Amino acid sequence: MELLEYQAKELFRQMDIPVLPSQRIDQPRDLKNLSIPYPIVLKSQVYTGRRGKAGGIKFVNNTIDAMAAAQAIFHLPIMGNYPSVLLAEAKYEANREFYLAVVLDTSTRRPMLLGSQFGGEEVETKLSEVKQVIVEQEFSPFYARRLALKMGLQGDLIQSVSRIVEKMYHLFAEKDLDLVEINPLAVSSSGKLMALDGKVVVNDAALRRHPDLVELFPRSSQGSASPDRLNGARSIDPSATNLKLVKLDGNIGVLCNGAGLAMTILDLIGAAKGKPMGFVDLGGEHHYGGSLESLHDRLGQGLRLISQHEGLKVILINILSGVVPCVAIAKSITEHLQQQFKTTPPPALVVRLVGEEFAEAQTLLAEMNILAVEPLDEAITQAIALAKPTKTAKR
Amino acid sequence: MNLTSDSKVLIQGIMEPLGSVYAPLMRDYGTQIVAGVSAGQGGTSAFEIPVYDMVEQALEQVGKVDVSIIFASPYTALDVALEAIAAEIRQIIVITEGVPPLDTIRLIRKAEATETLIVGPNSPGIIVPGQILLGTHPPQFYTPGRVGIVSRSGTLTYEIAQELSHAGLGQSIAVSIGGDRILGSSFQQWLQILEEDEQTDVIVLVGEIGGDTEEVAAHYVAEVIDKPVVAYIAGQTAPRGQLMGHAGAIIASLAGMGADIGTAESKLAAFKRAKIPVADRPSQIPDLVKKAIGKK
Repeated sequence: MELLEYQAKELFRQMDIPVLPSQRIDQPRDLKNLSIPYPIVLKSQVYTGRRGKAGGIKFVNNTIDAMAAAQAIFHLPIMGNYPSVLLAEAKYEANREFYLAVVLDTSTRRPMLLGSQFGGEEVETKLSEVKQVIVEQEFSPFYARRLALKMGLQGDLIQSVSRIVEKMYHLFAEKDLDLVEINPLAVSSSGKLMALDGKVVVNDAALRRHPDLVELFPRSSQGSASPDRLNGARSIDPSATNLKLVKLDGNIGVLCNGAGLAMTILDLIGAAKGKPMGFVDLGGEHHYGGSLESLHDRLGQGLRLISQHEGLKVILINILSGVVPCVAIAKSITEHLQQQFKTTPPPALVVRLVGEEFAEAQTLLAEMNILAVEPLDEAITQAIALAKPTKTAKR
Repeated sequence: MNLTSDSKVLIQGIMEPLGSVYAPLMRDYGTQIVAGVSAGQGGTSAFEIPVYDMVEQALEQVGKVDVSIIFASPYTALDVALEAIAAEIRQIIVITEGVPPLDTIRLIRKAEATETLIVGPNSPGIIVPGQILLGTHPPQFYTPGRVGIVSRSGTLTYEIAQELSHAGLGQSIAVSIGGDRILGSSFQQWLQILEEDEQTDVIVLVGEIGGDTEEVAAHYVAEVIDKPVVAYIAGQTAPRGQLMGHAGAIIASLAGMGADIGTAESKLAAFKRAKIPVADRPSQIPDLVKKAIGKK
């Protein structure tokens, strides 16, 4: 989960990474009690980059201008998001701008330090200038110095920049982060360093062991910080369910036990010119421990999530089951359909099951006019046929 | 890697919800589970398997074990795995999902220093059909044979095993390295193990979008692997920036910079460069496997 700039800077301040004096602005009139001297910069606090180009960053010299600018920024959507908070910050004259980051590298399976002398928006056009250092063993400051040298820094900047990288790494490790980025890191003409903008991404799985980070998130508002995303470490207690609908824009809703196979199904639908509406991963069997009760809950939750969605025409349920027999899954599906579609007609359904007692499951579902198939390719063909507008949908 | 029906297995977290479901299933498949560990429950037994408070106590009683399977909660998995390494267990399977990445990185550093093989986290483990089940694979989808499967998924692996079994192509071993972002063992490690495995004639590599492990694996195959390899990639139509269920399955921009990493296009191109045939659907894999065996 990504933090907003002002939250990231709060963490920087705690780590002694230099940031400018700043103040959080919840409404334009907060600017009347500004504790930092003008000129200031007002920055929209949204989860997207390129705020400057979109008009989300404004420099102002007095309270009247500041209040007008704040009013405008609060009403300016950036990539569809309105800020609920602005950051007022002292203005800073940068001589040069660097890029610094600490990330997780999946292929070396190590943290990685990144740095470039070309920061700010230049970083994207000069990707080859971004130097990398893999933190092979336990971190020690020499890794940061190695980065500074690779970046081509000389003299005092070697020590001063590597000290910032060191602090970024400690923040990264202490708070279980996926990313710490400073862009730009301003270098003044006297060689002083200042983190002008920052980005911190918290690892969702680790969030629950950092209550201080949970407190940084607003209680509601912004989509990216809704409470369901705070359930960091997914429990392996098979009774716990916390399913999510991944929305796409077609008309076939997919319920599948396992994320890899769910992606395969979306690919197969796409390859056959169908359009998936989205999917719910019910979790592989080892997430629900082969418990029928838990699978039943998950199916119910998954069906609810998918059926609420507009544009849904067909539901494709795909369960590969090692432990629970197919007929029990079929019963669970019919129970949910009867409960959830008392007043409205249920959407067309294709059920693909693999496991013990498939024939019995097929018979049981046929009594409800629900098509059950075993081969995956056939399930896709049937779902697409039912989703086509010209054909009369057969349930 | 020498896993047979004679291999001795320890289960850490045998009283955990999933441990207590899968311990008897593994035992019924013929896996020799010699002991379980659950702190505070030492001296009892579960499914007629003796339970100890700590790994070292268990080993004093039952002797050396070949593999430990971990069903701990996400935040204790690191500690539990370090306990196994301290007791000189050199093959560890972490079933647990959602282990914080930096915990896994610490575990990897320790594993490399001690030459310990880690499978997972977030993995259904390993199955050697007809011999041994180490984890949560549903064994009925597998048949003994000579195809080795290495995968990042769970259920998708079972799907592919099932397709192979239907086509009369049994499997020598199937391993899922796990769905989390940072994983204890890499595709390359497993490609090397399968290359050396005398029971394996052909390798099926099941990848998905996210990261660059498929690209690295494709390069490795071209350089080092002599056995035929067939690949499949899930998530080819996944939208950019959308987390697709596995923590590792996301096409992301590197640290806010423009370049996308983890796209299907990049992986497909890497396989093409390495001359590895890629199936466009699971049901096509058996044909490609047959062709690959025929060629060599």
